[in-house]
Amino acid sequence: MAGILIVAEQLDGALREVSQELVGAAVSIKDQVGGPVQVLVIGADPDALASGVNLEGVDEILTIQTPSDHFDPLIYEEAIVTAGVQSKPSVVLIGHTSSGMAYGAAVGARLGSGFASDVFILGHDGDELIATRSAYGNKVEMEMGFSGKGVVVLTLRGATFEPPEGAGSAGTMAVDLDVTSIVGASTHVEYQEAPPSDIDITKADFILSVGRGIQDKDNLPRFEALADKVGATFGCSRPIVDSGWLPKPHQVGQSGKVASNCQLYFALGISGAVQHLFGMKHVDTIIAVNTDPEAPIFNVATYGTTVDLFELTDALERHFN
Amino acid sequence: METRELFWSLSHSAVLAFYAVGVAAMAAFAWGVWQHYAKYRRGTAHIGRGELAAGVKRMIADLLTHRTLKRRDKFAGYAHAGIFFGFVIAAAGTAIITLEYDILYPLFGIRFWNGDFYLIFSLALDIGHLALTAGILMMMWRRAVFNLPKLNYLRAYRGETELRAPARAWRVEDWIFLTVLLVIELSGFTQEGVRLLMDQPEWGAWSPVGLLVAKMFGAFGMSETTAAAIRGTNWWMHGALALAFTAAIPWYKAKHIIAVLGSLATRAELPLARLPREDEGSDSAGIACVSDFSWKDMLNFDACTKCGRCHEACPARNSGFPLSPRDLILDLRSYNDKAQGRAEEGVDLIGDVIDPETLWSCRSCGACQEICPVGIEHPAMIVQMRRQLVDRGDMDPLLQGTLDTIASTGNSFGESSRKRSAWTRELKFAVKDIREEAAESLWFVGDYASFDPRNQIVSRAFASLMKASGVDFGLLHEGERNSGNDVRRVGEEGLYETLVEENLETLTGVKDFDRIITTDPHSYNTIKNEYPEFGATPPIEHYSSVLAEMLKSGRLKVTKPLNKKVTFHDPCHLGRLNGGYDAPRQVLEAIGCEIIEMPRNRDNSFCCGAGGGRIWIPDPPGIEKPSENRMHEASALGGIEVFVTCCPKDLTMFEDARKTSGHESEFAVQDIAELVAEAVELESLTLKDLPSIADRLTDAIATRIAEVVATRLDEVLATKMAALAAVPVSAALEAPQATPEAPATEASAVEAPSPDPISPEPVGTPAVEEAPQAAPAAASLPELNVMDWDNLAPVQPGDMGSYTAPEKIGLRILVTVKHAAKLGDEYEFTADGLDIAGEYLEHDLNEWDDAALEQALLLIESIGGGEVVAVAVGPEEAEKSLRKVLAKGADRAVRIWDERLQNADPVTIARAIAGVAEAEQADLVLSGTQSSDQAHGSTGTALARILGLPHGSVIASVEWDGQGDMTVIRELEGGTRHVLTMPAPAVLAIQTGTNTPRYATMRMIKQAKKKPLEVLDGAALIDGGGGYRVRRMYTPEQEKAQMLEGTAEEVAEQIAALIRDKKGE
Repeated sequence: MAGILIVAEQLDGALREVSQELVGAAVSIKDQVGGPVQVLVIGADPDALASGVNLEGVDEILTIQTPSDHFDPLIYEEAIVTAGVQSKPSVVLIGHTSSGMAYGAAVGARLGSGFASDVFILGHDGDELIATRSAYGNKVEMEMGFSGKGVVVLTLRGATFEPPEGAGSAGTMAVDLDVTSIVGASTHVEYQEAPPSDIDITKADFILSVGRGIQDKDNLPRFEALADKVGATFGCSRPIVDSGWLPKPHQVGQSGKVASNCQLYFALGISGAVQHLFGMKHVDTIIAVNTDPEAPIFNVATYGTTVDLFELTDALERHFN
Repeated sequence: METRELFWSLSHSAVLAFYAVGVAAMAAFAWGVWQHYAKYRRGTAHIGRGELAAGVKRMIADLLTHRTLKRRDKFAGYAHAGIFFGFVIAAAGTAIITLEYDILYPLFGIRFWNGDFYLIFSLALDIGHLALTAGILMMMWRRAVFNLPKLNYLRAYRGETELRAPARAWRVEDWIFLTVLLVIELSGFTQEGVRLLMDQPEWGAWSPVGLLVAKMFGAFGMSETTAAAIRGTNWWMHGALALAFTAAIPWYKAKHIIAVLGSLATRAELPLARLPREDEGSDSAGIACVSDFSWKDMLNFDACTKCGRCHEACPARNSGFPLSPRDLILDLRSYNDKAQGRAEEGVDLIGDVIDPETLWSCRSCGACQEICPVGIEHPAMIVQMRRQLVDRGDMDPLLQGTLDTIASTGNSFGESSRKRSAWTRELKFAVKDIREEAAESLWFVGDYASFDPRNQIVSRAFASLMKASGVDFGLLHEGERNSGNDVRRVGEEGLYETLVEENLETLTGVKDFDRIITTDPHSYNTIKNEYPEFGATPPIEHYSSVLAEMLKSGRLKVTKPLNKKVTFHDPCHLGRLNGGYDAPRQVLEAIGCEIIEMPRNRDNSFCCGAGGGRIWIPDPPGIEKPSENRMHEASALGGIEVFVTCCPKDLTMFEDARKTSGHESEFAVQDIAELVAEAVELESLTLKDLPSIADRLTDAIATRIAEVVATRLDEVLATKMAALAAVPVSAALEAPQATPEAPATEASAVEAPSPDPISPEPVGTPAVEEAPQAAPAAASLPELNVMDWDNLAPVQPGDMGSYTAPEKIGLRILVTVKHAAKLGDEYEFTADGLDIAGEYLEHDLNEWDDAALEQALLLIESIGGGEVVAVAVGPEEAEKSLRKVLAKGADRAVRIWDERLQNADPVTIARAIAGVAEAEQADLVLSGTQSSDQAHGSTGTALARILGLPHGSVIASVEWDGQGDMTVIRELEGGTRHVLTMPAPAVLAIQTGTNTPRYATMRMIKQAKKKPLEVLDGAALIDGGGGYRVRRMYTPEQEKAQMLEGTAEEVAEQIAALIRDKKGE
């Protein structure tokens, strides 16, 4: 029993980036865990997605055809167990995404295997796989071992592991899955895309984002005006959208948009929850303003300051007038 | 003999007619009074504070001195004095005549209204009526000519541009009142004039005004016949008007003549300084409808004369907030005139009559009640209506968050209580812990002085001053909790009571001390005036009087008189509410300051805007805050060097306002203790460059923490490495673990759990007839396929022993609840390095579970019945979160615990909950998507698998009629939402942000103690299973941002350069 089984993630027939990141993570521990590295692609036409995960280090691609591409956690669970029984991997890697969260722990509980979620460092101590996640609101880190567990299921944090750069030469093997007993447990209705907007966080090269620190909805226009003045796209963190102060397209982060093309990120009153960091921590230059000098945002920022948000905004406005 | 004929030339029948009219007028008056009495009786009991005798004495004193009327408006005061005393004399005159003519003479043949008595009577009445007339004319002049803003009923603060109909009616009423009185007076003098002109008595000079009128009539050549004609008709007009006036008193503005007597006599001994307690027997909180007002409140409504003094003084109204204390009372009166003290169906007092925004605008500064000439106590009514708003959860989200924070951490900053005395670390001496060591004084520091960096400097200054003067003091350190003064004024009475009980309990357990000292006027107020109602409370002093005493006695010696021009701001809670006006001024004089008073000083001090919990509610931008208004006032004095405060909230508010109002360069804002430290040349502090001290202190703290953490980390690592070197690797890692064994040894690998472990049972009789049946549709669940992947076996539900759930009556929704931990900046790991030491964690209800509970309650409400059961895995402490959930509406709670479950992995937690869920046979299980501390995002999904139920995660909404399939929406990355349908029962992990969890007041939480909470032993869960084993926990090395230092302006400059550089400009 050895090898790593990766579960590729797709949305409505399109492969998601986290799938390739999982391959990168698997490759990094392949030597210790032992091969092979297999990628499981589940969908209505899995072969069409297979090439996307055929990356350097992948030994085999397993495909499981399902009646539709729409996500159903029970089908994923069943598919993984079926593939697992066949290839007996010792590690199963799943993305810690909205979908991954819906079946990762279920697979762990189903197998009675080792299980940990939102892992962002993989390592080993001798033969033992070691995974690291954060604890207590991202302030400390927790290193976990799985001794006594022959199989370990992990969900990995997105935008953390680098996908392999080279293409792979893995073959594809179809695995049969009987879904008759599962279909109908949940029924797909539709996808609702976020309403279109003239804001595109993913394309912006300069983003000015606001968070809880701005205190009140009525303060928004000041910051929006400043963003306008400095020529930045106006973004925000989740609480601002949750409170209904700004529409969804402004939201940067895991449940919002990733600032993929951003060069300069100016965070005002954002403390830096993991979900927000997900969308912006990679940005080249990050300037963060927060009154709490211990705010996690300062761990990813290039420059930081704890001066009063509102005074700073006023002063900046004068500078750009 | 000197006297006069009462019914001159009137026939017997005319006199009878007059009596008939008179009796009718008196009856109308009595009927009106009775109506009011009946209305007041519908009010609640006036929670009696202060005795009636003392109240009556105060009332008489205030009426005789006219103290309350002359304040801040001498003209109105004297005018009213004329009217009042004139009216009293006139009324007395009428009474004397009635006494002789209608009682003593007919019954006993006694006459005394003659001779010298009559002459003095005539003179007194003439003077009285003259004063009355003069007063009326002055009031008319004032209304017509002065154009006083306070007499304008236009609600400009609400954007009104023209008077509403009732306000126009008020204006008419004001003029009718004055005009009718004037006509009565003038016709009286006319009557006297024609009588004297015709009768020419030799004692005419005893009626000087009448004589003057007679002489005028004579001079104009009035004939005897004309005089007689006037004497006949004018008598009737004067009499009829006077009787009409009397009859009308209870029905309009004139009613204040009577209501004010009650209103002044029933004033609270310490209005606002000691708020009324909640009636424990009452089901509803505070004042929710008009019949919840006390009879005394209703008397207050009727006493209002619309004089506008409160309107003029109110800091909220001055800043454009939608509150005028006068208009609040007038609206309540208008409504009560209609409702007559009876709660009306379909009318919501708060919402339909009074806008919640009006109530939230109040700063509890007491300026309105202080200046009210008729003793209306507005703030207590406002706070009691706020209690109802808090109960409804109708409040600013930030305020709600702060209340939650105070409830969980004991301070409004949300800091760990361990940090409460962190400010003392930079002192050059150790500060006693009064819990360990006796001291002369116990210093109750308060939240702002403990946690706010600017105020911490003041705290250190005052501590050093006490040390220097040999005052032996100690702190409660982390034992201190928010005093609750402002929490009470927000209207969260239950939380207030809890804070008081906690503080009093702490105070009882400490070592000996003589008195409490506090630097916080808010804490000072409640501990001094309100705590004694809850238990024995030691005497308390505000630090201003402690400083005054230290300077006076010479314990502190001024070595460098400051020679500064300063102005002093009286904190509302020290001055107005507790009369502490003099001590701070004595201190300032003692240290050589020249005090230039602001126009609004002492009892007229203008609130900084922070009181009544407003410091926790953001002010909308674009308005001039009360604190900024105050800064303009100080600036207008000219040449002030320091604006002196002696309240931490004042310091915070005015430090900000000085900058935002544009007076930054004109004067400094400093606390009185800082000035004293300067004057006595306290060596430990150079107060000239406060900011640099602040910076140095922050740096010093940061370095110290870094050192401690680094040392600790080194130790832990060293131990770990040594252990690793000593034993073979695998053994070392497994050592702390119980013997690893396959989970669920009982169940063979091939024995799958029941595919449908909690299929709903046939339902018994529903408790509510309309309550829907439990979900009938059983989900089609997957069979677990037989697998043999190296002996893997599914996780089984935890064995919850003999736990049996109560019989199901209708729908049952299970909600998982975590008492989630919050870690402060300072912490240590446990000795084994596997977790954070418990004492560094503060806990509260997990935000996501709160959203899940709200979703459950919304479902139950929309379906129209059912039961919500909360399940938590946690120690007894976790019952705080369960109580909160029960208070919000859950029906029952179950808690599972074993010490070894501390920070257990999500699979183990899921097993525990699954054990209960099986027994409960829930129709739906809701969990939070993740917890705010560990964020596994796994418990719900694992639970679903163990139970074998369909499930979904990151669920933003659930629609369900309780019978068929549910429609749920999953939230995906990037804002896409996935809509699907799903059968019940199912497990859904709920995302935050799509609902607003309701607020549970402390009162509800206390009441929730009556709801069942079962505790189960979780020992069976400790079997070496679980998803992972923690190897170590550590603080990651972080590459921190490069911090930009300086003022906001300097930082802005650097940032602007960065932005320009990056943009290639």
